[in-house]
Amino acid sequence: MSKLRLTRRTFLAGTGAAVLVRGGLLAPTPAGAVVKVGAPAPAFTSTASTGKGVSLADYRGQVVVLEWTNHDCPYVRKHYETGNMQALQKEATGQGVTWLTIISSSPGTQGHVSPRQADELTTTRQASPSAVLLDPTGVVGQMYGATNTPHMYVIDRAGTLVYAGAIDDKPTSRRGDVQGAQNYVRAALQAVAANQPVKTPITRAYGCTVKYP
Amino acid sequence: MRAVAVRLILAAALVAAGAPAALAVPAPASPLVAVELLAETQSIAAGRTFWIALRQAITPGWHTYWMNPGDSGEPPRLEWTLPAGFTAGEIQWPPPERIAAGPAMSYGYSREVVLPIAVTAPPGLAPGGRVTLRGQASWIVCEKMCVPEEAAIALTLPVTATMPALDPRGAPLIAAARRAAPAPSPWPASFVATPERVTFAIAARGLDAQRISEAWFYPARWGAIEHAAPQRWRIDDAGLTLEVARGPLPEAVAGPVEGVLVMSERLDGGVARQAFAVRAEPHAGSGGLSLLRAAALALAGGLVLNLMPCVLPVLSVKALGLVRHASGRRAALRAHGLAYTAGVLASFTLVAGTLIGLRAGGQQLGWGFQLQSPLFVTLLAYVLFVMALSLSGAVVVGARWTGAGQALAARAGYAGSFFTGALATVAATPCTAPFMSAAVGYAATQPWTSALLVFEALGLGLALPYLLLTLVPAWQRLLPAPGSWMVRLEQLLAFPLYASVAWLVWVVSQQAGPAGVAAALAGLVLIGFAGWVYQVSRAAGGRWRRVATAGVVALGVAAVGAAALDSLIDTRATRVAARADGRAWEPFSPQRLAELRAAGRPVFVNVTAAWCLTCLVNERVALRSAAVTDAFARKGVVRLKADWTTRDPAITRVLGSFGRNGVPLYLLYPPGAAAAPTVLPQILSESVVVDATEKI
Repeated sequence: MSKLRLTRRTFLAGTGAAVLVRGGLLAPTPAGAVVKVGAPAPAFTSTASTGKGVSLADYRGQVVVLEWTNHDCPYVRKHYETGNMQALQKEATGQGVTWLTIISSSPGTQGHVSPRQADELTTTRQASPSAVLLDPTGVVGQMYGATNTPHMYVIDRAGTLVYAGAIDDKPTSRRGDVQGAQNYVRAALQAVAANQPVKTPITRAYGCTVKYP
Repeated sequence: MRAVAVRLILAAALVAAGAPAALAVPAPASPLVAVELLAETQSIAAGRTFWIALRQAITPGWHTYWMNPGDSGEPPRLEWTLPAGFTAGEIQWPPPERIAAGPAMSYGYSREVVLPIAVTAPPGLAPGGRVTLRGQASWIVCEKMCVPEEAAIALTLPVTATMPALDPRGAPLIAAARRAAPAPSPWPASFVATPERVTFAIAARGLDAQRISEAWFYPARWGAIEHAAPQRWRIDDAGLTLEVARGPLPEAVAGPVEGVLVMSERLDGGVARQAFAVRAEPHAGSGGLSLLRAAALALAGGLVLNLMPCVLPVLSVKALGLVRHASGRRAALRAHGLAYTAGVLASFTLVAGTLIGLRAGGQQLGWGFQLQSPLFVTLLAYVLFVMALSLSGAVVVGARWTGAGQALAARAGYAGSFFTGALATVAATPCTAPFMSAAVGYAATQPWTSALLVFEALGLGLALPYLLLTLVPAWQRLLPAPGSWMVRLEQLLAFPLYASVAWLVWVVSQQAGPAGVAAALAGLVLIGFAGWVYQVSRAAGGRWRRVATAGVVALGVAAVGAAALDSLIDTRATRVAARADGRAWEPFSPQRLAELRAAGRPVFVNVTAAWCLTCLVNERVALRSAAVTDAFARKGVVRLKADWTTRDPAITRVLGSFGRNGVPLYLLYPPGAAAAPTVLPQILSESVVVDATEKI
């Protein structure tokens, strides 16, 4: 009997949590929706492909890269099929940077994946993000004003957004343009590691639109 | 074995339902864009420049991009392999369309676009031969997804010695495309950038506001403005002013901002889109117009205000007071001049303080912001009406507001002069004098100290003529001798005031409709009656006079009440309408929404406000139309109305969660508690709502 009651209480608690989460979806996005470079990166919580809840706050004190992606977007493919993105991920995570790949494609649109498919993509592409976050409602994407795939953000150890924009200075989908391009994310990470200001903190992101609902 | 079969069937069912098959969003049949090279002429000649064009035939629903693709995408690219001596120019981009995608805005083309390019043949080209222009075209074409495509392009043309004949297919297409391409702007342009917004001023004087149905500024590069943000524009005597949220790149507004201004002009046969290449220089406010110049402009503006029909009577009557008492004591005169100036300056401080305070609260307001309130407009009409009645001689309100009357000699009535100054400021609100807009525009972008200084300069300008008259005795001698002409002049001066009252009532009619006009007119009648009672009671004595005074006060209160009642009537009318509409629209609450969604009902949420014009238009043209009502009924859509008229915090949170800070917002939730809502555009049409509803 007491066991049953306990179960029921747990169930009720669970419902409460669900309501809270739904309330969270309706909560206002900080900083009037679009983030500002030089300002604190807004906190968010999302679900990783592993099913684990991931908060930006979990990585306080670490450098964090946010990468918006859609594996079928030609601009994303440019950087994955040339190994450019994976190399940068490996380099960054090797230096203790947290790399969060975020998928904001809504269900039924290009790039939307199940958790299992997300993990498969990581394996087959030999990618090494710290986590892949699934954001099918686009809440995190819209909070950060992510308009493109790829759209890159760098957050420093103090939690300040120090870079927002493109991965590099060649806004094309041509694989050949990876060679000789100036990689803005790498430059930002180097600057952060050296405690220097990021020289080019804002650039125009290029790519496909994020497939928000 | 059996298990495998079941699994296969399950898998097939899942694929058919399209549920988790996201990896397999089908690739569309390529090419989505068919390209060809067109020539304007059938042949070419040595040394001549001729036009060719890349024509893209785009699969419906897909689009390619403009030179600035906006927030995503990339412009088409051409790489030429031209015969020796030939040179090809840049693409002459026709003005793009706006393609909104969530929080992003793309600039591009759909269905068909012709991109003209000028090519110059070398001088020594021998006639009789043939020339082939070759190249590689690559582009990205997007719908929801994007596909990169490319194609080899080539065009062979004979070389002739004679004047080349026009190509019957290429010539009209290229001519039309070149016609559509932006013309150099004939108007100087500038912009002011604040941390939040960029305001462009295009000195297109003489534009007819009635004929321009749309204006949009397409920046040539990313970063200066938010591509997806609404662009607010208006046309007045100074030209076109266009205001848009500032983009994220600070250096983009450090120098000139280039782009294409597209205006749609209403013509008898339809609407024509006209494009102009604009180069806007950073204005004054962001560096050019110095505080000193702005203050000087404000002073000049204030001086000119004295001549405006709403202020002229006030000043003239003050001047007439001087004429009557030119022989009065100089010190007293001077004191009246200073009191009047103090009254003006104090009122301007109040106006500037309010403006600065509201600006700190995030609102962008300009001169005359008070006129946005119908109540204020009605009260202003009352004040001007009383002044006019007094000038007409229908009511003699002692020497109060004409200030320098008999009281002047008695050395009293300084308070009267002070309040005349305040009155002059109030009367000046509906008027805008030349020079003022530049100065006030400058003040709007500056820190509060500078803004206050500019406003005080404006006030000083307004007060200056009368102040000087009182301060400089030599000028008083220039005034004509008193006489009966003064009475006639006073009576004449009443008419600009009556005209101002008529104009203000018209303003009320725009803001509050017939009910507002009725209230304002009733108030005016009451004031007229009160004036008469007051006037008659002056002749009577003692008790009657007291009763009459009470009556006048009561009538005044009734008049103000009528004006205030109007706003009440308005909201009550809205409420009654809401109730009548109640069967269709339920009030919104997050709980009700969650409940309905949990029950599997599709829901349409209309986030609206009584003061939102676009909302009202959308409700009339789309949401209440028979087609939409039918579509909602067919799909069993429950309609929730979130009324944000009084800024309900629960609704503010909904807006915020969709990255909005204002209404309208239209959300269509498909059935199922987890289904993501469709955000409909802010400008609704019947078909937008019906289409979206059919899709759920």
